[in-house]
Amino acid sequence: MKHGALAILPLALGAAVYGFAFGLLAAQVGFPWWGVGLMSAAVHAGSSQIVAVEQFSSTGTIAGAALAGAALNLRYVGIVASLAEVLDGLSIWMKLLAIHVTGDENWALTMAERAKSPNIGAAFLLGSGFVMISVWTASTTAGAVLGAVLPDLQRFGLGFAFTAAFIAMARGLWRGRSQALPWVVAAAVTVAAVSLGLPRAYGIVAGTLCGLLAAALLRRTSEAVA
Amino acid sequence: MRPSRCSASAPDIGSRRVSGSFWALIGLLAVAAFGIRAVGLVAGGRIRASRHAWVLDDLPGLIVVSLVASSLSGQPALTWIAAGIALAAAVATNHVIVTMAAGVAAYAGLAWFGV
Repeated sequence: MKHGALAILPLALGAAVYGFAFGLLAAQVGFPWWGVGLMSAAVHAGSSQIVAVEQFSSTGTIAGAALAGAALNLRYVGIVASLAEVLDGLSIWMKLLAIHVTGDENWALTMAERAKSPNIGAAFLLGSGFVMISVWTASTTAGAVLGAVLPDLQRFGLGFAFTAAFIAMARGLWRGRSQALPWVVAAAVTVAAVSLGLPRAYGIVAGTLCGLLAAALLRRTSEAVA
Repeated sequence: MRPSRCSASAPDIGSRRVSGSFWALIGLLAVAAFGIRAVGLVAGGRIRASRHAWVLDDLPGLIVVSLVASSLSGQPALTWIAAGIALAAAVATNHVIVTMAAGVAAYAGLAWFGV
């Protein structure tokens, strides 16, 4: 466990900067510091938290904000599924704890180290996960505490930071040209829907569903050609 | 009361009696996030092997793109230009903090020059 805790430290530092920025933003849109800290410990999913906080602050809908944040976390179905061998032999409670502390960084590090050495297993995943969730919770809370005492930074463009964060996330999720058409469809439908007066939350759902439809049609077409 | 974010229509949450709402959002998101992980533990292998597995891969990107589009819809040229600069930074660096810093700096700079 100590091996994993030490090995993850460089990645944890990067997450701390990101977490601090998120906490600051969340506090600036009105989230209390305790809420930010509690959310980080209970949810432990950076991009989901950012989306949920942004959606809640701009639309005020709880279910919509939670749904948007959770949907962004769907990749964890695959991530956790890939840990089957690593978690084998643990009690059910330890498995549940392990999947909660699993994040992108410590999962990737565990899998990479395991590829080099089969001895790397659940202890490494847990050790690195405990460090990651602790650093994430502490850094987001610290950011929120500072954000609450700073003057309003919206007029300096801080509100745009959420949009910039989403743009960065989109870049990270880009896997190639096959996504281009569905993404253009999703963006165009969302802009059109919001411009026509539909609430933002519904515009996002409409854009996402139309993008999915475009992706399905593309897949069907490419399968028919093949 | 804090002013709203760059979207003029965005309501402010700072002045509301929202303690209950915070708890509800945190609770709901925590349950959903853990539920997704638990599904991966119980049935992840079967879901990944199904013919609908591509939805898991495609959905996050589509949601994020729709979020960006909804943030930009109806916004002035200043916001769109700043988004273009943020996109350039994202393409060049693929780094969240650098992209956020470039976007906010561009937005503040353009506003300063009265764009």
